[in-house]
Amino acid sequence: MDIVAKLDRVSYQYPGAAAPVLKDISLTIHRGEFLGIVGPTGAGKTTLCLALNGIVPQFYGGRFFGHIAVAGLDTLDHPVSQLARCVGMVFEDPEIQLTGTSVENEIAFALENLRVPRAEILARIPRVLAAVRLAGFEQKNPQELSGGQKQRLAIAAALALQPDLLVLDEPTSQLDPIGTQEVFATVQALKQELGVTIVMVSHAAEEMAEFTDRIALLSEGRLAALGPPEDIYAQVDLLEHYHLRPPQVADTYHQLDRRGITMAAVPVTLDKGLAALPALQISDRLLPPPEFPPPAPSPTPPILSAQNLTHVYTSGTEALRDVSVAIHPGEYVLIVGQNGAGKSTLVKHFLNLLQPTAGAVRVGDRDTRHLSVSDLARSIGYLAQNPDNQIFNTTVEKEVAFALPYLGYSAEAVKRESLRALKAMGLWGDRAAHPLSLPKGERSRIVIAALLAMQPDIIIFDEPTTGQDYRGAKAILEVSRQLHQLGKTVIVITHHLYLMPDYAQRAIVMGQGTILLDAPLRQAYHQSEVLQSTYLVPPQAVQLAQELSRLSGQTYPLITPAEVARCFRPRQESSQ
Amino acid sequence: MGFSSFQTVTRDSLFTRLDFRTKLVMLVTITLIAFTWESPIAGGLLALAVAIACLLAGVRLTYLGTVLKVMFPFYIFLLLSMGFFNVDQVKLLTGKTELTPLLSLPASWALIGGATMSVEGTLYGLNIVFKTLTMVLIIPLAIFTTDVNQMTIGMVRAKIPYKIVFIFSSTLRFVPLLLGEVQSIIEAQRLRGLDFERMNWFKRGRVYAAIAVPLILNALAKSQQLEIVLQSKGFSGSPHRTYLHESTLAPVDYALIGGFVALFAGAIAVYVGLGVGKFYWLLGSAG
Repeated sequence: MDIVAKLDRVSYQYPGAAAPVLKDISLTIHRGEFLGIVGPTGAGKTTLCLALNGIVPQFYGGRFFGHIAVAGLDTLDHPVSQLARCVGMVFEDPEIQLTGTSVENEIAFALENLRVPRAEILARIPRVLAAVRLAGFEQKNPQELSGGQKQRLAIAAALALQPDLLVLDEPTSQLDPIGTQEVFATVQALKQELGVTIVMVSHAAEEMAEFTDRIALLSEGRLAALGPPEDIYAQVDLLEHYHLRPPQVADTYHQLDRRGITMAAVPVTLDKGLAALPALQISDRLLPPPEFPPPAPSPTPPILSAQNLTHVYTSGTEALRDVSVAIHPGEYVLIVGQNGAGKSTLVKHFLNLLQPTAGAVRVGDRDTRHLSVSDLARSIGYLAQNPDNQIFNTTVEKEVAFALPYLGYSAEAVKRESLRALKAMGLWGDRAAHPLSLPKGERSRIVIAALLAMQPDIIIFDEPTTGQDYRGAKAILEVSRQLHQLGKTVIVITHHLYLMPDYAQRAIVMGQGTILLDAPLRQAYHQSEVLQSTYLVPPQAVQLAQELSRLSGQTYPLITPAEVARCFRPRQESSQ
Repeated sequence: MGFSSFQTVTRDSLFTRLDFRTKLVMLVTITLIAFTWESPIAGGLLALAVAIACLLAGVRLTYLGTVLKVMFPFYIFLLLSMGFFNVDQVKLLTGKTELTPLLSLPASWALIGGATMSVEGTLYGLNIVFKTLTMVLIIPLAIFTTDVNQMTIGMVRAKIPYKIVFIFSSTLRFVPLLLGEVQSIIEAQRLRGLDFERMNWFKRGRVYAAIAVPLILNALAKSQQLEIVLQSKGFSGSPHRTYLHESTLAPVDYALIGGFVALFAGAIAVYVGLGVGKFYWLLGSAG
């Protein structure tokens, strides 16, 4: 098979770094294949991508060992500008990588730099725009595009170089579900229709299992495993060892295997998982559906509420339309919906960052119109999507204590409250460290400690899992659970439905400025049509449970792989 | 040609159709004339003409209002300082030995008691006000009516080094991003309980200074990411590149460039020969 890129015993250490980030990696990438790269944060995935077009080590410097050849060019011997013809790059952040002032300028930029004649540029623009389904957008300003469209434009700009290799580094991590679907559909079409060779880094296990030809698993700079997705994702123990999340289908069948119900091969894609269900001898092994009593209604009056809330932005956009919602003390609520559904607009009303155009918002029995943002900050702690925006002190302890004097706390109270918050968040040992020297998950924890010191009753997490690997996402959600157990009311906004069954009790599904559904989490996850109307897909475990219900004629309201697996009688028991 | 977000003008006019080089010539010519003229009447007419041109080109009235609002304290300071203290220069320009008093402060006032504000000094202040106003208004007339891409090519064709041109266009691209970042940081701080409205200026200053930390760190991280993006797109700052958009001078561009050069030559000629635009022009000669 034709080889596009070959890595031969590659090791690399950034200047000033204590240890190498890539260690002795040998890998061959074949023409026309889709290679997925997975691994926990810090595994060296991005560095590997940057090594493919010579930016590592040509831009960064550092110590590089071994050889990389792309389209026959050694990445050490050829300048990045020459390698740019062979390797198209798409990065994580859709904002930063688009430099053009119009879609066609964006595509033309790299071609102009590489001195492609104008007539050729004019010929390539419509071709690549058609390939990513952005034809007709030539004159649009890239900043006016949605997240998914921006990433598709970045792909088009990379494709216009007619590269031998297209490298995408976590292109969907900052996108909502519809943007993610757009990018994966585009990449799949490029591979199938144009035979483009693709290397993609992603944490989206379900999509990677479905679309890639091979998976390279990196851990601490080493190539820990390499193989087809059906081999790699079927090894759930291996994935767990490296703190990676398996697709829920693989997880479900793996748990069935532990119960003695063994399949010849663990399916890793939804289609195969659904097709394999009848082979489990459902009539013999399936237990009756478990009972899940609905949560009792709260006897206490709401702590947060909106009545007939409408918000129209000055641009004329109606972001919320007649929304009524009540959240009670001690609840753990999930708010989901595509970008533009109104989630952030709703939450900003609770914080008084936005005021109602019509209707009313109350915190407890107080109308937010009569409260300042800082008054509300004492009741509601808000963790922004990027915790770094909330951090600016030189030690963890100073950061946690920073706002308290401004709120009128005495010196003694500042000390007492910051000590309590640091201990509650497990940061006491790090109190003298610089906040930015800690990993991102820990930085979120610092901001949470700073919020906790103000003793709020409610904590809002705004997209806390975006850009995090599985371990990082779980760590933050564990903090949310801890806060919930302390009696706080917790609200989480996220697109990652699969993460939430272990935490949230109730789901509010938003779409086009209204609440489409407000129900207990279990019930909401099974409302597939409502979820799909706001471009959300129920987790695979839910889809397996729905198929199980169809096959058995009984209703299985299950939402996690463990619940699905537990519905089957273990082999020893069933054979007795 | 599509309008980018920097081209705040949405109206198609002569200005949007002109080549950027023509607008550069216009910018330089008008600025030089504004600098040359000392007459508040000539300066006022020039500033008025530029303001009308801005409005005709579709620059929003609110923008002009904001410019005036921002400049207003500076203009008041200029008028007062020129009216009270610019005595010698005005005497030289008018040839007068005594200036016409506009108002005098009571002699009983401490320190400034007895100071006199002159008509001539105030008129000279007014001349500087119009000079700066002309310059402040001519820039949006050139920039807001030009697509950034056309600006880039126009500047490259005008032999400005490509690297400088690229820094200029990326600044226009990233300023809004950074402003957005500042907004989100301030919002995040308010949500940590910092009540900016109730803080005194000293405290507020301290908090704003602290905000600079995440802002600078974010900006540094972004600029490194941008550098990597540019490298991967084969950008080297070399002027040896091709261009998607061609920049050609139309007959109207040639005519206007010629017109601006003639205007400048004419303005200098009548200034030197006939005193048009000199300080005392139409104010009563004292030369």
